Amino acid sequence: MTARSLKMPGAHMSALIPLLAVLAAFAVGLLLIVATGASLGQALSAFSQGAFGSSYAISVSLNRATVYALVGIGFVLSARAGLTNVGGEGQIAMGGIAATAVALQPGIADLPLGLAVIIPVLAACLAGGLWGGLAGFLKVRAGTNEVISTLLLSFIAIWLVYWCVQSVDLLRQPMSSGTTLPESSTVPESTMLPLLTGSYASPVTVGVVIAVVLALVAAVVLSRSTFGFDLRFVGLNPVAAARAGIPVERMTILALFLAGALGGLAGAAMLLGEQHSLKTGFSSGYGFDGLVVGLLARGRISGVIAGALLFGFLRSGGITMEMAAGVPTALVQVVQGLIVVAIAGAAYWMDRRPG
Amino acid sequence: MTEELFAVFIASTIRLATPLLLAAIGELLSEKAGVLNMSIEGMMLTGAFAAATGAALSGSPMIGLVCGMVAVIPLSLLQAFLTNTLRANQIVTGLGINILVLGGTTLGYRELFGARSREVIPGFDKWDPPLLGDIPVVGETIFEQVWLVYLTLPVALLAWYVLTRTGLGVAIKAAGAAPRTVQNSGLSVTLIRYGVTLVTGLLAALGGIFLSIGDIHTFTEGMTNGAGYLAIAAVIFGNWRLGQTIIACLVFGAATALQFQLPALGINAPNALLIMMPYLLAFIAVSGLVGRQSAPKTLAQPYWPR
Repeated sequence: MTARSLKMPGAHMSALIPLLAVLAAFAVGLLLIVATGASLGQALSAFSQGAFGSSYAISVSLNRATVYALVGIGFVLSARAGLTNVGGEGQIAMGGIAATAVALQPGIADLPLGLAVIIPVLAACLAGGLWGGLAGFLKVRAGTNEVISTLLLSFIAIWLVYWCVQSVDLLRQPMSSGTTLPESSTVPESTMLPLLTGSYASPVTVGVVIAVVLALVAAVVLSRSTFGFDLRFVGLNPVAAARAGIPVERMTILALFLAGALGGLAGAAMLLGEQHSLKTGFSSGYGFDGLVVGLLARGRISGVIAGALLFGFLRSGGITMEMAAGVPTALVQVVQGLIVVAIAGAAYWMDRRPG
Repeated sequence: MTEELFAVFIASTIRLATPLLLAAIGELLSEKAGVLNMSIEGMMLTGAFAAATGAALSGSPMIGLVCGMVAVIPLSLLQAFLTNTLRANQIVTGLGINILVLGGTTLGYRELFGARSREVIPGFDKWDPPLLGDIPVVGETIFEQVWLVYLTLPVALLAWYVLTRTGLGVAIKAAGAAPRTVQNSGLSVTLIRYGVTLVTGLLAALGGIFLSIGDIHTFTEGMTNGAGYLAIAAVIFGNWRLGQTIIACLVFGAATALQFQLPALGINAPNALLIMMPYLLAFIAVSGLVGRQSAPKTLAQPYWPR
């Protein structure tokens, strides 16, 4: 991402065009539902049931949006420093591995004062952060393009999860019989993220609150703090930033570390909040969806929240639509792809042309 | 390893490397001109799906091949239009197109073939090359391949010739290294980048076509399963050089072949390590541990003419 895309266009244009893109993509989605021969009313009612039809559905959508938001905030943060973090998927995966490994350590579950949850979560942040920071380190050391390194690190992490749950020496649950599934043991109850409502009927976790708080913190830090200013300076002109005494290399590593830590946190939220045991492909698509949310937010935290909610509810609704109305959830993918392509293309009219 | 098993290993390495080779040669041309074409995954999937559909409806794999090649053209034009004319972020458009194609082909497949059917689709038969096929043991195992496998040779040679021996090759490389200079010399960077994106699309589609109607004679949802990203990794591991990229594809093909062969030999290597190997190798290559990397200077940057 170049400095060009960090320029802020007029507020009305930058809100209107994405809205139009989303509406147009929805219109295509409706046409496709009709084309598949399904009943439009039935499909739509199934979609809304799955997205926000019950407190359970809303909870699931919000938990999903939390993951997208955390990855998206990290993306925007590193983008301020001129860095494109494509590694959300891998950072989630590393967070998931670390959270599981630490939560399953003997003694952790018995810790008082909520430490039983906090320590695995922090471990996940650290693991994701190191995975992101590694890309930053290579960037300053060897000049490695972070787009390439974070992408490759994602694939490596995805297969590390596979390795962890395939091998009994790593995280695979003890083999009691030949049919034991290749996944980790379930994490102890005391290490699971607490539910906001306390009831599994609406399993929205404290992760949502954490994401909202972090979004506010990120928005303030980026726009009002010296750190936020320095980040932007590094992104806009690293040479001048170095002249001005900003430690550019350290900022580069730190920015990617923070983005990775947020991805790791997202992984912990998924694992300790919803899934409770590590499985192959548990992060499937979440990181890339979160990346898209971050990209489409065009540098604004408010945009991240909007995009995270949109994609969170879209995906949840799509899954129910397939189950209840027989409309393949692939249709939601089509709509999502169209939104991405349309907004990416529309950036042409939203950015000011360079002089 | 017996002679026969070794021959099987070589044969499956070549077969598994073929779609990667076709796609990676295309991707290399794109990246040389400064276009990081992430949509190559979607382009392969489009080729695979359209070829399977065409072959199933017409009964002829050749018509399927034509369908696959034609179907990818609008997709390539979309990618080129977004990134060159609208100067959209190449990574976003690539990921967006990949999501779109994955959804679109899955939807199309369910509509046309019914959910999760594994219907056999008319595909290309293996071709027994004269002379080579007559070599005992090895001949039949290694050289009896679908003709698309042999197509990679002229494609690679042509790419080598264009890149190193023609003015067009110089222009392509300059579009990635110094686009301003290209414009000053009176050529259009936009036109060059449109061109390479189209060629990449056709080559990627060929790779996808090989997967569906060349190799397994059926289509499955999302059947490329990351082969496009693997092709990108091959270009990186190949340090943006043609010869090394080809070697990278063969190494990746061998790693995949080993996943199936090691257990047969009674060797207990972690499967995950072999699957991860291509990405790990590419990562080690870009991490600066072994020699300098020479990515095209303006890779993934849109060009704004003055």
